[in-house]
Amino acid sequence: MSEALDHGLWPWLALILFGFLPSEVWRMLSVFLARGIDESSPWLAWVRAVATALLAGVVGKLLLSPNGALATLPLWGRLGPLAVGMIAFFAIRRSLFAAILAGEAAIIAAGYWTN
Amino acid sequence: MISAAPYDPLTAEAAEDLGGRTRPRWFVEGARQALSGPMFVVAVSLLSVGGLARDAGFSVEIAVASTILLWAGPAQVLFFGAVAAKTSWPAIAVTISLSSVRFVPMVVSLLPMLRTKRTGLPTLMLAAHCIAVTVWAEGVRRIPLVPRDGRLAFFFGFSFICFLGTSISTAIGYVLIGELPRPLAACLLFMTPIYFVATLTRNAKRPIDRWALVLGLAMAPLTETFAPRGLDLMALGLVAGTGAWLIQRTLDARVSA
Repeated sequence: MSEALDHGLWPWLALILFGFLPSEVWRMLSVFLARGIDESSPWLAWVRAVATALLAGVVGKLLLSPNGALATLPLWGRLGPLAVGMIAFFAIRRSLFAAILAGEAAIIAAGYWTN
Repeated sequence: MISAAPYDPLTAEAAEDLGGRTRPRWFVEGARQALSGPMFVVAVSLLSVGGLARDAGFSVEIAVASTILLWAGPAQVLFFGAVAAKTSWPAIAVTISLSSVRFVPMVVSLLPMLRTKRTGLPTLMLAAHCIAVTVWAEGVRRIPLVPRDGRLAFFFGFSFICFLGTSISTAIGYVLIGELPRPLAACLLFMTPIYFVATLTRNAKRPIDRWALVLGLAMAPLTETFAPRGLDLMALGLVAGTGAWLIQRTLDARVSA
């Protein structure tokens, strides 16, 4: 299989037919769904809340059922650094940079702690 | 046609309104803002995709093309992971499609902020393609600060830099991944969760935003066990988002009563 993937048009076709098109269809559909909605529509508040909740759900799942190197840490080693990052965020003028720096430092520490 | 009046959001629909900058200048401003931070976050979050593509037997060109065409980290992880596991092609297509349903609320909420009455369909389709989680989360906060006629230029400048940085990082990941010590690899993977929780918190101006964030996070363990695979995220978004919206409505009703 690996050999077939290395040559010719097949990997490009596979990416477009089974990756790009099935994914892109939703974005294009949304262009039409967005047509009748203007910026002040009350629907927009609901759609935005759904999008925000979805994104929060993505993050929750990344931490609860992680893959790769994150999966080698225990649950406290993933949720603890998130808490540390958010404490830094609120403590240091709601700074995104502070949150990332503190959270990352905490997860590296957790990584070496459990090594 | 250039309006001589200073920028006023209430008359933004009336005349060509660029807030004193040309469209190319707004493009550059978008690019500059992406370079000030967000680009590095998406770039780091896509590093691992390069490694996955290599493990699945694809070339580096395909890895980079997947970033530009799919423009969705989780879908790319699914694609290369499923190919490596020798999943059937139709099954791969269905899984990818289900994971990208989440773009619907993002595109539907962002496009009305971007377009003007003159925006054509091809431009809207290109803009829709650029929308992924990072561009959405940053766009929701930054776009309202740009005058209406400069928004698309700003947005394309911002997206262009994100695409560029992420394509480079996908290629870097292709070459490097697998050789990092474990705590450092965990640090790269942790970038996405900490960044999104902090960004969404910073974006949250009204109770509806805060409740959507809190309910979405709180419901993640529930959908893990109860909802059907593939549809779990969409179900979570609809339930938690509608819950947040209802809370805001109750609060509004109490204020006006």
